[in-house]
Amino acid sequence: MPIETPMPRQTRYSNTLRYIVLAFSLLSTLSCQNGLMAETAESLPQKIDSLISAAAGDFKPARTCSDEAFVRRVYLDLAGRIPSYNETKQFLASTAPNKRAELIEQLLGSPEFPVRLRDVLHVLLMERRGDNAEWTKFLQVACESNRPWDELVRDILDPNPEDELRRGAAFFHTRRLEKVGQQETDYPGLTRDIGRLFLGMDLQCAQCHDHLFIQSYKQIDFQGLFVVYKNSYIRTDVPFPAIGEKLMTKKGEFSSVFEKVSLTTGPRVPGRPEVEIPIFEKDQEYLVPPNKKVNFAGTPRFRGTQAIASQLPVGDNQAFRDNIANRLWFLMMGRGLIHPLDLAHADNPPSHPELLKLLGEYLVASKFDMKAMLHNLALTETYQRSSEFADGSSLAPPEKYLIGHEKRMSAEQIMNSIVTATGPRERTNEATLAPVKQQDESKKESDQEEPAKPPADKLRAAFVKAFGNVPQDPEVEFSPSLRSSLFVLNDELLQDFLVPRPGNLVDRLMKISDSSEVADELYLSVLTRRPTEEERGDVADYLAKKSECRQTAVSNLTWALVASTEFCLNH
Amino acid sequence: MNRNALCKPWEHRLSRRRWFGTAGAALGGVALGGAALSGVAAELNAKSKQVLFVWLDGGMSQLESWDPKPNTEFGGPFRAISTSVPGIHLSELLGKTAKQMHQLAVVRSVCTQDDAHSSGVDRIQRGDPKNRGVVYPYFGSAITKLLGPNGSGLPPYVWVKPLSGGFVHKDGGFLGPQYGALAFGDGKPPENLVRHASVSEEAMLERSQLRTLADKRYAKRHRPGTTEANSFVFDMGLELMKRQEMFDETKFSERDRQRYGTHDLGRHMLLARRMLEAGVRFVKVNSYGWDSHGDNFNGSLSLVRKFDQPFAAIIEDLAESGMLENVLVIAMSEFGRTPRINGHLGRDHWPEAWSIVMAGCGVKRGIVVGSTNDNGTFVNSQPYDIGHLFHTWFNALGIDSQATEYVNSGQPLPIAHEDCHPIREVLA
Repeated sequence: MPIETPMPRQTRYSNTLRYIVLAFSLLSTLSCQNGLMAETAESLPQKIDSLISAAAGDFKPARTCSDEAFVRRVYLDLAGRIPSYNETKQFLASTAPNKRAELIEQLLGSPEFPVRLRDVLHVLLMERRGDNAEWTKFLQVACESNRPWDELVRDILDPNPEDELRRGAAFFHTRRLEKVGQQETDYPGLTRDIGRLFLGMDLQCAQCHDHLFIQSYKQIDFQGLFVVYKNSYIRTDVPFPAIGEKLMTKKGEFSSVFEKVSLTTGPRVPGRPEVEIPIFEKDQEYLVPPNKKVNFAGTPRFRGTQAIASQLPVGDNQAFRDNIANRLWFLMMGRGLIHPLDLAHADNPPSHPELLKLLGEYLVASKFDMKAMLHNLALTETYQRSSEFADGSSLAPPEKYLIGHEKRMSAEQIMNSIVTATGPRERTNEATLAPVKQQDESKKESDQEEPAKPPADKLRAAFVKAFGNVPQDPEVEFSPSLRSSLFVLNDELLQDFLVPRPGNLVDRLMKISDSSEVADELYLSVLTRRPTEEERGDVADYLAKKSECRQTAVSNLTWALVASTEFCLNH
Repeated sequence: MNRNALCKPWEHRLSRRRWFGTAGAALGGVALGGAALSGVAAELNAKSKQVLFVWLDGGMSQLESWDPKPNTEFGGPFRAISTSVPGIHLSELLGKTAKQMHQLAVVRSVCTQDDAHSSGVDRIQRGDPKNRGVVYPYFGSAITKLLGPNGSGLPPYVWVKPLSGGFVHKDGGFLGPQYGALAFGDGKPPENLVRHASVSEEAMLERSQLRTLADKRYAKRHRPGTTEANSFVFDMGLELMKRQEMFDETKFSERDRQRYGTHDLGRHMLLARRMLEAGVRFVKVNSYGWDSHGDNFNGSLSLVRKFDQPFAAIIEDLAESGMLENVLVIAMSEFGRTPRINGHLGRDHWPEAWSIVMAGCGVKRGIVVGSTNDNGTFVNSQPYDIGHLFHTWFNALGIDSQATEYVNSGQPLPIAHEDCHPIREVLA
C-alpha cells in the first residue's frame, strides 16, 4: 500500500523524486476510486490540527462534536443533504471505533458526492446566473471522474468546442458576455471574475488605477487579463455555448486615471511575465479562417485565452493554488483562511500562513485532487469541533477555528434535506440524484415520470429562487430573506411535504401514540438528534392541546422544525 | 412635531451631544454599526419619519411642469398658470398640483452630470457620490440603513411600479442585498403572501410559536445572530401577510379612486398612501415613458396630467391627515429635457438645467428656489447637483449629512457627496 506524504517543501525535485511523486499521485487516484484513501492521507489531518492548535493562543477549543452533530454535518458537506432517519440511527448505533472515518469514506464513494461537488462548483463559478444543460454536463462528468481542479479551470479558460463532454465549460464566459438591457457587454465583470474565482484576487478597483488600499493589486494585473477578455465574443454559429476571439495584433493600451501616462500590455497573468503577441504574415493569422457563409469569424492562430489558460492554472502559480486551497477549506470549515475569499494580498494575510502553504503544496502534489483534499479536511479534529460553546467560556475569535462555524446551506442542500427529513425512514435517492435534465431530452423523460410528483427540476428551480442569492452575489454568509420566509410559510411545494403519504414522516408521526416516541421520531428525522427532556415536554404539551386534530398537530410540529434556524444551517 | 424648531441638525451638533450625553452615541452605534451620528433629538424622532419618492422615468420636461417659459423661444405651446401661492406659476398641465403649491418646494436650479438613461437613473438615485470604487445604495436603501427599523414590522423599502415585481437587491449597493427594495409589480403583493388553503390561521400562529421556541433553544447554545436574522424575515413575512388588505383595491373608496385616477399611476399612488399609513418607511412609486424625444407636447399633455392628478391628491391627503409633517415627498426624474425642440417636436435629455419638487417633513412650504435664464437653457442662480439634494433630504429627515458616515468593511464613506452641502433655503 503506497503511503502518500504531502509534497516536500522544496519547489524543485530531483528527477527521481519527481517520478515518485507522479507515481504516488497516480496511485492515489486509483486508490481513491477503490475507496482506500483514508490510510494514504493519514498524516495531513494531523498536521492541520497541530497548526491550528499552535495558533490557538489562550483560547480553548470547543469539544469534539457529538456523533449526532457529526453525522449531520458530514452528510451535508459530502452528500449535500442531512442523513435519513435510518442512516442516523445506524451511525449512532455503530460501535466501530473508526466509524467517523468510515462514514467519510463511504460518502465520498457514494454517487451523491459527485452531485454535491457539481452543485458546489456550479454555485461557486456561476453565482446563480442561471443554468445550462451543456454546462451541467461538463461539471457532472468532471465531478464523476474526479477531474483535477487545474484541468477544469483550463477547460473553462480555453473551452474546446470539439469536445462534446467539456465544451459546456464555455458557459462560464458566454453567460457573462451576454448583453443585459441597454448596458454594455460587461468585459470588466468577466475579467474581475477570472481574478476573483481562480486567483482569489478581486481586481475590480485596479481597473482604472493601481488599487488605492491594496499595494499588490496593480492596474496592469487587471489590464493584462482584460486585454484578452475584451477581445472575446459569443459564437453564434453553433447551438452550444462557445466563445471566439478576434485577432490580437497589438497590445492593449491603458492609463491610470491619476497619472494619465499611456501604458500597454499584452496578455498577462497577474504576477507573471507578459505573453508576447506573435506577428504573422497576412494570410497566416488564422488557424481556421473566417467563413461568412456560416457566420463563423475564424480561429486566430494566436489566442489570448489559450495563453492565459496555459499560464494561470498551474501548480507553481501561488495565487492559483492558494485560492483553491482556501475555497475548499472554506467549504468544510465555514470560513476562509484568507477572508474574504477573494481578497488575497500582502496586507490581508491568511490567518494560518503555514497551513495554507501546506494545503497548497498538498494540492500540487496530489495533482489538484479536490476529493482527496476534502477527505483530508473531513478527517481533522478541526472539522469535527462542536459549534456549541460552553457557557461562560470566552468566545474564541472565528479565525481561530476552535469552535465549529455555522455554515450557510445552499438551496440544493435545503431542498435535499427537506426531502429527506419529511420522507420515509429509508431514503430513496431519486430526488437528489435526478440529473438536471438535458434540454433536448426533457420531453422523453417527462413521459416516463409519474404525473403527481413535481419534477425534480421544478422543485430545484423553486428552491433556488427562494434560497439562492440574487445573480452575481456570492453565497458565503447565511442571509435569510423575506422571499425565503414567505416560501417556507406559504408555498404549495413546501406544504406538500407535510401531507401524509404512506411511510413519510407526517404519516409515521400520526400513527405513534406515545408523545415521547413522537418527539424521538420527529427530532431524529428533522434535526438528526434526539430531543432534550424539555423538548419532549413541549411536544407532549402541544399534542395534548391538539388531541382532536392529530394530523394538523404533527404537521405543525414538523413545519416548525423545518423552519427553524437549527435546520437551515449546517452547524 | 418640531417642524418649526429653531435648531437644525448641523447647527447644534455639539450642544445636542452634550445635552444627551452618551445616549446619543449608543443610539448611533446601533443604527450605523459604529458610524458617528449626531442630531440626537432627530434620532429619537427618527421612528416616525417616512419618504414618498415619485420617480418619473425617462425625464420629465421642466418646461411643461415646474419651470414654464411661455412665449419664449423654447417655451412650447402651454401656458403658465397661477397657483395657491401668489407669484408662483406652474405649467397649466399641473392644474391640480397648482392648488397644492402652498405645500410644495420647487427647486428650479438643478444641474447634474449625466445625460444617459442607463447610467443616469443609477447615478441620480445613488446620489452620484465621488467614485471610490464602491457601489452606493439607492436613496431608499440609504434611508432604510440610516433611519433603522421603525417598529412597523413591514418591509422598510417598497417600490410600487408597473410591470414585474420581486426583490430588487441591487439598490442596496455596498450596504448589501438585504437593503434592496421589495417591488410590488403593478401594485401586486410578492409571491407566497397568501396563507395556504390547508393551513388555518390558528395553525399558522401555532407554527410560529413552535418555531420561535425552537429558535430560542438553539440560540442559547450558539453564536448569537443567526437566529435573529432568521426570525427577522419570518416576522416580516407574517406582518406583511396580516396587512394583505393593503393590496386589495376593492377596499379603496370610490371617491379616492376618482380623485387619484383609475390609471396605473393613480392606483399605485393610492396604494403608496396606504403603505405610508401602514408604516412603511420608504415608498417609491414609478411612472414610465417620460422620454419624449418625439411629440413631446402631446406626450406631456397626457403624462403630466396623469401625474398631476394623483400627486395633487396625495399631497392634499397627507397634509389633511397631518402625515405630511413626517413624510418627505419628492418627485423627480434622472434629468430634465432640452429647451431646444428637435425636428420631431420632441425634447432630448438635458441635465444642465431642470427642476424637482419636494414637500413635507423638514421642508419649507410654498417656495421656489433657484431659477433658469429667460429661455430656460441654463441655471442662472446657484446650481444644485444631486449631491446637494441628497444632503438636503437627509437633513430634512433629521440626519446630519455632513457628520454621518457609512462604514463599509472598515472604510468610512460619506453619505452624500462631500463637495456638496444641504440647500439651506429649502429646509424648514
